Formats: sequence, C-alpha cells, structure tokens
Amino acid sequence: MTAATLHGRAEALASTLPPLLVEAERVAAVVAQGVHGRRRVGTGESFWQFRRYEPGDPVQRIDWRQTAKRDQPFLRQLEWEAAQTVYLWRATDGGFRWRSTKSAPTKADRAGLLLLALASLLNSAGERVALLDGNSPPGLGRADLSRLAMDLQRTEAGDDSPAAALPPNRAVQAHSAMVLFSDWLAPLPAIEAALAAFQSKVEHGHLVQILDPAEVDLPYAGRIRFSGFHNESALTLARVDTIRQAYQERIAAQQEGLRALARAAGWQLHIHRTDQAPERALLSVFQALAGAGAV
Amino acid sequence: MLTLGPISFLQPWLLLGLAALPVLYWLIRATPPSPRNVRFPALRLLRDLQPQEETPARTPWWLLLLRLVLVGLIIIACASPVVNPAAGLPGSGPVLLLVDNGWSAGRDWPARQALLSRTIDAAERANRPLLAAATAADGPGPPPTVSGLMRPADARGWADQLAPRPWPGDRAALLAAITEMADLSGLETHWLSDGLDDPAAADLAQTLQRLGRLTVYLPEAGDVPLVLDTPQTEGADLVFSVRRPTEAVEDAGVVRLAGEDGGILARQPFTIAAESAGTDVRLSLPAEARNRVALATIEDLEGAGSVVLVDERWRRRPVAIVGAAPTDSSQPLLSETYYLDRALAPFAEVWYGGLDDLLERGPAVIIQPDSGQVTPDEGDRLDAFLAEGGVVLRFAGPLFAANPDALVPVPLRAGDRTLTGALSWTTPQPLAPFPPESPLAGLALPDDVLIERQVLAQPGPLVNARTWARLADGTPLVTAERRQTADGTDAGWLVLVHTTAGADWSNLPLSGLFVDMLRRIVALSAGVADTTDAVALRPLSTLDGFGRLGEAGAAAMPIAAGTFADTLASPTHPPGFYEAGETRRALNLSPAIGPLEPLALPPRVATEGYAIDAELDLLPLLLAAAMALAIIDLLASLALRGLLVVGAKRGATALLVALLLIPVLGDSSPAQAQGQSLSPENLALLAANGTYLAYVVTGDPEVDAISQAGLDGLSRVLTQRTAVEPEGALGVDPEYDELAFFSLLYWPITQDQPTPSADAFARLNDYLLQGGTILFDTRDAGIGRINEADLRRLTAGLDIPPLSPIAPDHVLTRAFYLLQTFPGRYADEALWVMDADETINDGVSPVIIGANDWAAAWAMDAVGNPQYTAVPGGEWQREMAFRFGVNLVMYVLTGNYKADQVHVPAILERLGQ
Repeated sequence: MTAATLHGRAEALASTLPPLLVEAERVAAVVAQGVHGRRRVGTGESFWQFRRYEPGDPVQRIDWRQTAKRDQPFLRQLEWEAAQTVYLWRATDGGFRWRSTKSAPTKADRAGLLLLALASLLNSAGERVALLDGNSPPGLGRADLSRLAMDLQRTEAGDDSPAAALPPNRAVQAHSAMVLFSDWLAPLPAIEAALAAFQSKVEHGHLVQILDPAEVDLPYAGRIRFSGFHNESALTLARVDTIRQAYQERIAAQQEGLRALARAAGWQLHIHRTDQAPERALLSVFQALAGAGAV
Repeated sequence: MLTLGPISFLQPWLLLGLAALPVLYWLIRATPPSPRNVRFPALRLLRDLQPQEETPARTPWWLLLLRLVLVGLIIIACASPVVNPAAGLPGSGPVLLLVDNGWSAGRDWPARQALLSRTIDAAERANRPLLAAATAADGPGPPPTVSGLMRPADARGWADQLAPRPWPGDRAALLAAITEMADLSGLETHWLSDGLDDPAAADLAQTLQRLGRLTVYLPEAGDVPLVLDTPQTEGADLVFSVRRPTEAVEDAGVVRLAGEDGGILARQPFTIAAESAGTDVRLSLPAEARNRVALATIEDLEGAGSVVLVDERWRRRPVAIVGAAPTDSSQPLLSETYYLDRALAPFAEVWYGGLDDLLERGPAVIIQPDSGQVTPDEGDRLDAFLAEGGVVLRFAGPLFAANPDALVPVPLRAGDRTLTGALSWTTPQPLAPFPPESPLAGLALPDDVLIERQVLAQPGPLVNARTWARLADGTPLVTAERRQTADGTDAGWLVLVHTTAGADWSNLPLSGLFVDMLRRIVALSAGVADTTDAVALRPLSTLDGFGRLGEAGAAAMPIAAGTFADTLASPTHPPGFYEAGETRRALNLSPAIGPLEPLALPPRVATEGYAIDAELDLLPLLLAAAMALAIIDLLASLALRGLLVVGAKRGATALLVALLLIPVLGDSSPAQAQGQSLSPENLALLAANGTYLAYVVTGDPEVDAISQAGLDGLSRVLTQRTAVEPEGALGVDPEYDELAFFSLLYWPITQDQPTPSADAFARLNDYLLQGGTILFDTRDAGIGRINEADLRRLTAGLDIPPLSPIAPDHVLTRAFYLLQTFPGRYADEALWVMDADETINDGVSPVIIGANDWAAAWAMDAVGNPQYTAVPGGEWQREMAFRFGVNLVMYVLTGNYKADQVHVPAILERLGQ
C-alpha cells in the first residue's frame, strides 16, 4: 500500500468521527498556540468578547469602533487557542507484519491505518501530531499529515528486528499524549521497562494491542512445525488441537498482565483483532483520548 | 518373451521388481509425511506446551496405495509390454519379402509399408536373415531381381527406400531370378501382392510354395487398384472408363478434371456396382473448359493408374478455314470468313491459308466456305484427310451452286433454289426441329432464323439418313456423310451446309444457333496433332508411383516421334508429358495395363489381408500413467502439508474452464454446422441475429452445395470489400421457412425441383410484396437454356411484375461497382428486372432473372479457392461475377439510394452557381 492510498483510506475512516478534541486541562503557557479554542479569553485569532475598559488595561487593546458606538471605551478580547501534542507509534517487527490468511490485513497494516486515521482526526481538531520514531517535530496542518503518512511508510520498510516490537526511548515534550500500537507479545518485564521512560512526561498514555485472529484462537490441527520470525528455533508439535485450550489461557494471561501494567502507569489498554472493523478500535481510542473515561 | 493374453513382455525378468513392492510398502508406511510449516509470531507462548498424546503420524492408506501403483506401473513399463505382438516367425531359414510395387501399389502403400516393417520386426526377434524382392524395376536398368541375404537393419533401410513405380511390375523376370538362385530351401515367403493376376503369377506362387511356406497378402475388398482409362470423346463429352478386377463390393469415387495450373474444371462422382468390373464416367463441360483440361484423376486415390494425362488429342481443336483471314476491310460483314471467325474464335484455334498449307499443319476440321470448285487433286487430299478422321465442313454459295463437284455428302441438283423474291411463290423458310439422331439434336431453334436460298439435294435413298437439319418444308439444310478408313472403320465426317456462311442467303450466321451448330460439329472431330518434323519427344514431366506429376527423372528416355502412338509406359518411358518443340504429347499408363483379373493362386496358399492390428507398445502409455500418478501424488503431498490451499480455488477454476472449453472447441461455427437440418425456430433465431444471404433448397445435393458455397464466397467478398458483413449463407425452403429475415433469396432452377404448394406461393408473394428480392438463376446459359420451362413452372404462382432486359442506367449497374455485364459462371447478356417503378419498394425489382449460374462462379472452398471455372473469361469473369454479386446485395439492401446519383450533375451545377 503506498503512502497516498493508505492516507486516503485513513482519511475515509477518520471522516466518520467528529474532530477529536483532546482534553487539555493543564496546558502551560509555554505550549505553542493552535486553532483549538479553549473557550476562554487568551491569545488567539478568533473574536471572543468585548469587555469594558478597566484601568490598567493596555490602551492598545481598546477597540475604537465599539467605543465609538457606546458611552464607554471597550476592549476587544480574543479566544485563547492552544494545542496538545500527541505522539503516535506502531511496531514494525517481523511478527507484527504477519497475517494468518491472505484475506486478512497484516497487523502492521491495520495499525498503520488506525494510526493515520487517528492522526487525521487530531489534525483536524488542531492538535499537534508526531511519530514517536519519526524525524520531524510535532506539526500541524494537512502538509504535516502527509509528511506523517510518508514517515509511516518509511518505517514500514525499516527495522523488523525484535527490538522494533517495543517503542524506542525518545525524548518527548512534557504533558503530551501518546498512543502506541503493537501486538504486545513480548515478555511483560521488557514492556514495562520500555514504557517506564515515558512515565514522567506523558499525560495520557494508550496501548493498543492488535492481534491476528489466529494468534487468539490457534485454529490449527494436526502435526505442525511452527517457526518464528527472529532466528528462534522451530517448534514441531503433534496434534496442535490438543493444546489450544492451554494456549488461549496463556494469551489471556499476557493480556491481563498487560492491563495491570498499564493501570499501574496510568495508561489504558485497548485490544483489537484484525478481523474486527477498524472503526471499533478507532472509536475506543477516540473516546479515551477525548476524555470520556480517561483521567 | 512372456505372453499373458494379448500382452507380451519383451523383458519379462524385470517383472521380478514387483517382488520389491512389499518392502517399499513397509518403508513408505513407516515414514510419516512432513509436518505443515506455519510461521507464528506468538511462538514464545507455545513453547513448552505439551500435546496430550503423540500418536505416530502415518501416511494415509490411499496415498500409500497411489505410490505402490506408481512404482508398480514403472516396473511393468520397464518390462516392455506390447499389445498384439507381431506373430512370431517360427523356423530358421531366410525370410523372403516379395512386394508388388508397380502402379497398383499406390492405393494403400502405407499399409504395405506398415506390414513390411512389422514382418521385419518379427524376423528380427526370431533372428532370421531376410531376402527382399520388388516386382517393379527401379528404372530402365536390369530387370527386378532378388537381393542377397540381409540383416533386419538393412532390410529396414531397403523397405524405407521402396516406393511404388508408375509402371507395371515384372513378375516373370522375378520368377526367372528366383529359379536361378541355388540353395533356397526353407525359404519362407511373404508376398505383399496387389491382388492382380498376370501370366507369371501362378508359376511364381507355385515355385515359392515349393521352396517353403508362402503367405500372400491381398488388398481388402474395396481397396483393389482402379484404372482410369484414356477418355473417348463423344460429342462434347469426355467419357472415361474406370476399370478394376471384379469384386463383390461396391466402390465409388470422383473423377476430377484439372487444368494446367491445377484448377479444378469439373468433377463427376461414379459408383462401380458390386460384381462389376468397371463403369463409364461421362463428363460434359463447355468447350472452353475442356480445352484447358490437362489432367484427369480419381480424387483421393493415390497411384499412377488413376491418373490420365490429357494432351492436344483431346483438347485443342484447330479449325482450318480455306481462304484469307478477314482483314480490317471496310465491309467485313460481306465476308463469309468474318462470320465463321466470330463464331469459332471462342472455342477453337482458327487457321487460314491455302488447302495444302493447312493440311500440312494437321487441323481437326477444315472449313471450305463457298469457294467454287474443289479440284480433283484437292478432292483426293481431302478424302485422305477424311479417312484419317478429320472433319470437312463445306458451305454452299453462288460459286458452289454454279460449279458442282464431287466432294459432297449427297448428290446435289445444279443451281440453287430461291425461296423469296418477286418471281417466287414461296416464302423464306424457318428450320424444322432437328432429327433426334442428328448430332445437332436438342439445340434451341430461334423463330427468326429464315433461309432465303439454298442448294437442293437430289432426292435419293441416302438423303434422309444423311440429313442433320431440315427446313420447315423438309428440304435438307445440313447433310453429312461418315467416311471410312481403308480397313472399314469409321473415320471423319464430310458435312455440307446447304446455304452460305455469310448473310447473303440466310440470316442463320447472325444467330446464336450458328455458333452452337459449329460447336457441335467441331466437337465431332478427333484432333490430329502431327509431329512430322520432330525426331523424338523428350520427357517433360513424369508421374511417380503415387500418381503425382513431377520433373522428369534423368532415367526417362525420349521416344521416337514415329513410334509414340505405339509406345507403352515402361521403366524406360515412364508415363508423363513428352514434348518436341511446340508439340506436347501425353504418354499414359492405362494402355500398358491389360485386363484386370483377381489374382488366381494355387490351392493351399495362405492369404491374409493388409489390415493388421498394429503392435501397440505399452511402454510410453504406462510411463505417462506413472507420470500422471506422480503429479497426483505431488499434489496430494502438498495438500497434506497445507501448501495447496492458495492454489486450490484457482486450480479448480482452471479445470472447470478447461472442461467447458472442450465442447466449445469441438463444436464448429454455427454457419457451417447449419444445413438443411435447421428447424424453422432455429433458422429464425440464427437469421434474426445477423445478416444472412439465403438460397432456396432445391433438393439436389450438388446444386445446394454450390449455392451454399457460392453465397458463402460472396459473403466473404462482401466482408472484404464493403460495409456489408454477412454472417454466411442459409438454405431455406419456402414451404415452411419464414422468409422475412432475408433481403435476398437466390433461387437456382433445377429440373426435378417440386413445384411449390399454394401455401408456399402465398408466402413467396408476401415476401415479394414486402420488399424481398428473388434472384432466379436458370444456370443454363452455357448449356442451351434447358431450364426455362422449369423456371416457368416454378414461378407460375408468383405475382411477377412486367420484366424487361436491364437498362444501361439501372441502379444495379452502379450500386457499388460500375458494371454493364453481369456474368456468372457463364457470360450471358440477358438479365431481366422489373420495369422501373420508383413507387414500389424503393424501386427495387422484386424479381431478377438470369441464366449465368452465379453461385458456381462465387463458390469457394474453405481456404478461398474457386471451385468452378468461369467460361469463357476465366478469372477476370469471376471477378466481374463477384462485382455483380456485390452490386446485387448493395441494391437489395440500399434500394434506389444510388439512383440519386443521376441528379449529381445538376446538384454540382447548382452548387457552382
């Protein structure tokens, strides 16, 4: 899938949701301005209200046209507009690029789609979006969204080592939000270590676990030789159908551990299967980011 | 060699390999199939999970069976099984292969070759040496003889080189050779005979029987050689006789006449009845076509005996006119030779000159116009010419009447008789119908031919028998006398026409009857081509044993001119064309072939037919089956390992497509598959879905085939040249088929076509009323208007408007091409169309009537070669015939659209202002 078509599909997906407004409760003044009105007086471009002049106000703020209409001088006040920074990331390791049948998308493809759709929503809401492992600083506007899509395309062809299954340790802006897409099948301690780096900076964190249905159900039967993606030794099992139950318990344990880990860090876990509609996962992350249930 | 029923194994000890199958069974069974390979990201979670039980994985039983069958097939194949193995050749002496490879072997030569190779194989297996002998000599060298002892490989080489020869075999020479050979005891002979008897055959068989076993192979019933004899000319017809040894079964074939360029001029099927030794085949074709015949063959029958080469003796009719050639004088119509020249030129070569010069050149017919007295000296020479078989045709006239001479068929009265004039009570006389025994019988008599003056025959006993044509009052107009050679056999004709060759005494020379009469009379003559000045005729092209004409080989010898007529085809002089200067003569094989009798063999001789159950080697079949099983095994293994999932759907689709394609490929195109067998519904469906040209099915299969081929050919030309792209031709029967789909109906007239019922007439009238057009083709312009009565009969119930000969500015003359003639196979002028009436059906004539056999001119075979010659114009005439066809279809499709062009000058003039 080229960057353009992926971008197009993501836009189509994102268009089904209203622009995402990220709740920003404690945004410091140092946060750069955005088009996102905060419904209070501040620096911005949109008109907010006229207010009577009070002593101490700078004379330059007096709106002379209003003042001429009335008895007293009036000030023109603008709406305070500011933007949140959201970091996005998806895994690119070999296992994440796998699919069990030709008819389903790979996990990486689905993650890319969700990521771009989310970026598009955030973008139209005026938030600043950046790839965690990208080279560009957080940006704004359609051009930036296109650049993000191309960055995503580049990483898709990039690293597929086991390390790519966990987010890289990059410096991020304080009070930012973060959405991380992976299958989160790595050992739990490794995941905990990787997430620890962002604990202090990230306001809202979201883990999205994307799994292939075959990874959940283990639909195989008979004599199977399983091989991994990272030079692991292959595993030949007779009568795979007899261990299905045990395997499903292990997957459930992994997800439970992951959820506990996220809760401890103040993050949220979203689970998505590639045979489900992508809108469902997008809505879930959207609602979480919009603050419906978060924080 | 191990034999089990019809199957023999050439390497039976390899079958021991079958004993290894149980071992193989145990080995394959013990080895489990490979596990499916699956890549799986969550491998970490699977580790150290133990399946509850591990049953040993086994190859499924059906796969096991498949593999065992596969290996078994390969082992059996290695043992070289053959079905119907050649019968062994018990005994130890040499084997003699005796082959009749004369002209008679061409008909089923491949069967002889197969039998030879089979016999050699059998001898090889029995380790017996071979001797070989062929009855026909290879060329003008030594007579046929027996070869020395050969190994089977050498014998195979000999058999490969052996070919049928275009001359008779020489069994007598071979018998002599065998008699001379010493120590031939224990000889086993296989005689591949042609089933024909000759004087030496019985002796040869007896001699061989004395030496050892003799097996004679005879052709199957219906496969005996046929001989096509040189033709006899009877009037305008060529009569061939086909001979064979008497047989209990019927045989059939087609005699085909071809021209110099190989183009087919005529075909005539024949059937030889059971228990009969031959039949006559009569081919009648226009004189122009007959003059071009170079080769007569029995179709699809290989062998030199079924080919007759036709030379000038049967073809060219040099006609000599005593007198000066008509010059470009200012008054050509006053010259007698002018009328003769115009009448003869289309079908004969015309010479002029003095009698002496002409006799030296050897004409077939000498015409003496009114020229006064024939001197006694000239009379003697003409008598000699008549005795050689020439035809002398004399015309009366004023000079002839005044100077009677002796060279006349019947005694004449002096002077002439004038039937008209101021002092005469009689009126000019028309002709009476020709007497049935006259060669002129059957020619159509025009009403307007009137004879004004004639010379009268002296009444006598001979006059009646010698009269070929009379006037209405009974006086002879044409008399003829058959002359005889010195030994009393029939020779040439002396013919006298009792009036002039010019228009002085009658208007007969102005009529078409004059041309037809001359044609009949010239056809009576036997060509007398002479080669007095040439010493020898050298071979130009010769036949091979299969009856194919090719370059003359170096071994063919020239023939002395004087002895050519007596020369028989032989190794020295193979049949073929021989030439000397301008003269070309054909040496035919058939005179060298005596009476054909079935081969008479002494008692107790084993006979067999050539049809043999071919030895079938099973090795390739078995290996192919094993290969197929191996592929199935591969697919099954892949499926078991889960590697076939992706391809399965696609593979199934491909298989389905292949299965669906098979019937499609087997089906031929609908246009060809259709014939007279379409039901009316199917015909309607077919015709409604495309433009079809239609013809009326006459019930005569030959005529219907010509119509179909002709309209198909026209469709092809239309598609190539115009925007009309017909799908093809359909045969319809007005009795029950719906005609509304067709704009043009081609109706060939035949004599035994049933008259349409009242229903059919109503249907046809409706068709004509609604804008359909019928082209009636009586197909008899070249053969004397014999179908006119049938045309009248078949159209009696049709509402045909008044017709007139086509006008020079009729739309049909310029609907696509600019044409003024409308030839088909024949080039007759007359084409009748409706009087112009623009108000009805767009001015399109509902009925067009002609006689030119258009379908035959349009007919093409599958590859686009024309099937019938167009006469007299050849290919150019065919092109014009196609142009007429194109114009006709354009005319019926577009109506008077092109008629608007008459206003073009006016429109252009107006635009100019």
